[in-house]
Amino acid sequence: MRRAPTLIGTALLAAAAALSACSSSSSDSSNGNVTLRYALWVDTQAPAYQDCANAFHADHPNIKIKIEQTAWAEYWTNLTTEVTAGTAPDVFTDSVAYYPDFQANNQIVDLEPYVKRDHVDLSHFRPGLADLWVRDGKRYGLPKDWDAVALVYNAKLVQAAGVDPASLQNLTWNPTDGGDFEKLIAKLSVDDHGRRGDQPGFDKNHVKTYGIVLDLDAGAGGQTSWGNLAVANGFQFLDKNPFGTHYKYDDPKLAETIAWIKGLQDKGYLGRYSQHSSLGSDAVLASGRAALGMAGSWMASTYLSNKKVDFAFAPLPAGPAGRHTASNTLSDAIYAGGKHKDQAWEWVKFLASPKCQHLVAKRAVVFPAIKSASDEALSAFRSQHMDMQAFVTETSQPGASFLLPLTDHAADVAETVQNGLDAVWLGQDSPGDALKKVNDHVNGLFK
Amino acid sequence: MPHLTTGQRVGRTVAQLVVGVTVVLTVFPVLWMVRTALTPAGDLFGDSYGLWPHHPTLINFKRVLGMTSSAAARAAGGSGAQLDFLLYLRNSLIYTIVIVVGQTLSCAMAGYALARLRFRGRTAVFGTFVGSLMIPPIFTLLPNFALVKQLGWLDTFPGLVAPTLLMSPFSVFFLRQFFLSIPREVEEAALLDGASRARIFWSVVLPMSRAPLFTISLTLAVWSWKDFLWPLLVGRAENTRVLTAALGVFLQQSPNAEPDWTGLMAASTLTVVPPLLLLIFFGRRLVDAVGFTGVK
Amino acid sequence: MTVVQTAPASVPALDPPDRAPRTRRKGDGLTAWAFLLPSIVGFAVFFVYPAVRGVYYSTTDWNLLSPPKSVGLANYRAAIHDPEFWKSLRVTTYFVVLSLVAQLAIGLVLAGIMHRLLRSVMVRAVLLLPWLVPNVTIGLLWMWMLDTNLGFANHLLHSLGHGTEGFLTDPNLALPSIAGITTWAGIGYIALLFYAGMLQIPQDVYQSAQLDGAGEIRMFFGITLPLLRPIIALVLVVSVIGSFQIFDVVAVTTAGGPVGLTKVIYYYIYEEAFHHFRMGYASAMALCLALVLGVLTWVQMRLLRASTSDLG
Repeated sequence: MRRAPTLIGTALLAAAAALSACSSSSSDSSNGNVTLRYALWVDTQAPAYQDCANAFHADHPNIKIKIEQTAWAEYWTNLTTEVTAGTAPDVFTDSVAYYPDFQANNQIVDLEPYVKRDHVDLSHFRPGLADLWVRDGKRYGLPKDWDAVALVYNAKLVQAAGVDPASLQNLTWNPTDGGDFEKLIAKLSVDDHGRRGDQPGFDKNHVKTYGIVLDLDAGAGGQTSWGNLAVANGFQFLDKNPFGTHYKYDDPKLAETIAWIKGLQDKGYLGRYSQHSSLGSDAVLASGRAALGMAGSWMASTYLSNKKVDFAFAPLPAGPAGRHTASNTLSDAIYAGGKHKDQAWEWVKFLASPKCQHLVAKRAVVFPAIKSASDEALSAFRSQHMDMQAFVTETSQPGASFLLPLTDHAADVAETVQNGLDAVWLGQDSPGDALKKVNDHVNGLFK
Repeated sequence: MPHLTTGQRVGRTVAQLVVGVTVVLTVFPVLWMVRTALTPAGDLFGDSYGLWPHHPTLINFKRVLGMTSSAAARAAGGSGAQLDFLLYLRNSLIYTIVIVVGQTLSCAMAGYALARLRFRGRTAVFGTFVGSLMIPPIFTLLPNFALVKQLGWLDTFPGLVAPTLLMSPFSVFFLRQFFLSIPREVEEAALLDGASRARIFWSVVLPMSRAPLFTISLTLAVWSWKDFLWPLLVGRAENTRVLTAALGVFLQQSPNAEPDWTGLMAASTLTVVPPLLLLIFFGRRLVDAVGFTGVK
Repeated sequence: MTVVQTAPASVPALDPPDRAPRTRRKGDGLTAWAFLLPSIVGFAVFFVYPAVRGVYYSTTDWNLLSPPKSVGLANYRAAIHDPEFWKSLRVTTYFVVLSLVAQLAIGLVLAGIMHRLLRSVMVRAVLLLPWLVPNVTIGLLWMWMLDTNLGFANHLLHSLGHGTEGFLTDPNLALPSIAGITTWAGIGYIALLFYAGMLQIPQDVYQSAQLDGAGEIRMFFGITLPLLRPIIALVLVVSVIGSFQIFDVVAVTTAGGPVGLTKVIYYYIYEEAFHHFRMGYASAMALCLALVLGVLTWVQMRLLRASTSDLG
């Protein structure tokens, strides 16, 4: 008899607590104030966008911005789940590679009517960026930033190997013997007994410092690793980009590149994929386990502000088809299922405005899309003694930067490519066979 | 004490060693988790593996409990995302308590009806319940998700608790078996006395059933506390996010795409504390309850 | 209690006390359904209805956003021809075998030792701790312990002169590592179940065996195990069903990798449903899993009935 009241009492208490906690993620209060949710993935950029959010709130006191950050690895699955559940953020960072999937399912808003209505100036963006977001006459995002990829190296380890840093500015590479690039990587690899990779007796099974660390989990375009080398070898992803429908992953030029990278692993110059740790490349480099890496410009501040290790950037090596860097661009998209689209547009407009992009530029974490802001970012980097010249050199040459594949079915393509390459890195499939299977599957998606 | 041969003595020592090693292996990872939670993130690379960190700190706990500023969190190795594990702890507690109370009551009533009350269709109902024991949860998970979405209950507590609040075949089965085994005399006597079935249930049978009720409550509590996939799918908003789902999300917020180990271990410690308290205060009853579920 | 006992004396002639009065039975129907109402509502709305809908969804092509499109048995045909589906069943079976053998063997040994030697409640309570902790936490904890660069396990290996092992990233080690983690998590609970079963064996059986000169190990195999057979069978049935549905640890540690070598069936279904939004296909696979588990349970129950308790 004593039991029932206490049980019921607890239940009522819990129910009351539950009901009081019952509010879902509503962004309204009754006095017209609106809170917009804004999603991004690069955590180093969150403070920069918080600056923008504060400035925006000062101009629009009845709109508040709540920034939500999810790391890259889960950003897209998270977003797609939220879109499907109907609970996606009002505005989210969109990538050139992923936006066609959202557009095809009518999940993002066409901004063209807003752009025309408010006479948004599109000429102040870097050339080519704004048009990437237009499909069938509709505009699905305004350019936010751009990036490029370069070599990053541990200056002390390079010096200890007796290599002149100046020689890193003009490296050559080819898939057959690796060119200067492989010689450098070999020289920078050190085994437990202090022998270097280019010395006889180098013990590839007991390596203390790897010559290079690569992000082999690099999506459909190998943006931070193989993609750059493949294109430098003359490889092209698609029949046409953007919006091609026929991939060419079975091109031997790509297979050669992949095989060369796998070769580095086999020789002990690159860490084995079966032991790839939870640490990102930057942590591996920071701990001294590797001497060289490839990094995107969005990681610049992370590397260059490291007080313990002296990092520097150098341009990517030039391959048989010249030097090429993946250049990606992001925008901000408005979720079609959001409840406050007009306010969301105000925020997106602000994000694409010189005022916000200059605030972001000052933080020296990324290159904003507006030309003047991009230049200001470069100065901001310089004033913090961060030398970004390598990125500038790479992208100033016409034709040097290439666009990552931009087609429908982006998520499926990325997963197929990653699974196929995983099998190669783990030694379970040969590059040629794996890539042929990948290509067949991927092209089958477009039928 | 019987006289032991050398062989028996050796055997005994080996056996005690086996248990000792198992206990150490069980406890060590948990201790290591706490040790990591007390380590500043920068020290992780220092190659120090002592049992106690060189510079113990509470910053990681403060970070996950939302007690530091975004900048301080980032400086300490986090991603700067605003976390509030106290809120998630509250949500987990609500989820667990509501389900335990709701299901225990509801299934006790059902179990009693199936054990003691005579009515048409009793065998059919019981048979259906038992039959559904064979259906794996995944099969009803997807349609339940769609149903909860259609009801507009995503990101609400009603949506979270709905599928398991009122029944689970196992609980009904277990309690029905138990009620069958209570001697009828007490109930018969109360019936003759003029009591209604309902009154008998509440005033006579339930108080007698403390042990199995505790066992079922405990099993349900442990199950709800550990539940991951359903709360992950349905409780996405801050107000309904439970600890397990929050851990999953926290993992996703790793700075620079690598895990925030010290923060993760601090958050994980929080999921271990309530069970640990339960063990400390109810250890004996817990241990006995486990045997009860399996054997009966 | 005295009140109850004097009551019959004051009531007019009744049936003999060993049969409950008939007049009470008529009211049972209403009371019964009242008692059953909450459970039946819960069962109907969140069990039967979804199960039926699940069968329906399995015959559709549905991505949650647009209405389901009927495709008949296409999903089932696709599953039969899907190498990933069969691979995930193989992976799951491998996992179940590894983890079950380990847990049963170690659990029995532990229980036996505790039964004959150490009756400490504290030991049993400590061993129960992993069972109370969410699997997500356990996954994270072990992911940290087994980390290639910073984990304690590799540190230990290094100090013993052995090289680094990628426990969760090496194709050969990933699934055994997952099995190891779940074994660690379940061993205390299983040992306690067996221990409770062993308590039912009367002590004099052991005493007479000892008088006959039997050692502990012989008694374990000759007395304990045979008498425990029904309990072992029951634990086996429940553990197989449970292990087949492992999800949390995989989701948090390897997400099915490397190259799908830890992609257990539950995770594959989840991925299809919530990453690729192929709800119809996922439902079809879930139904297949339900059938597989049903068959497994039926087979095991028959074996269980076949092993009667030797306790008499």
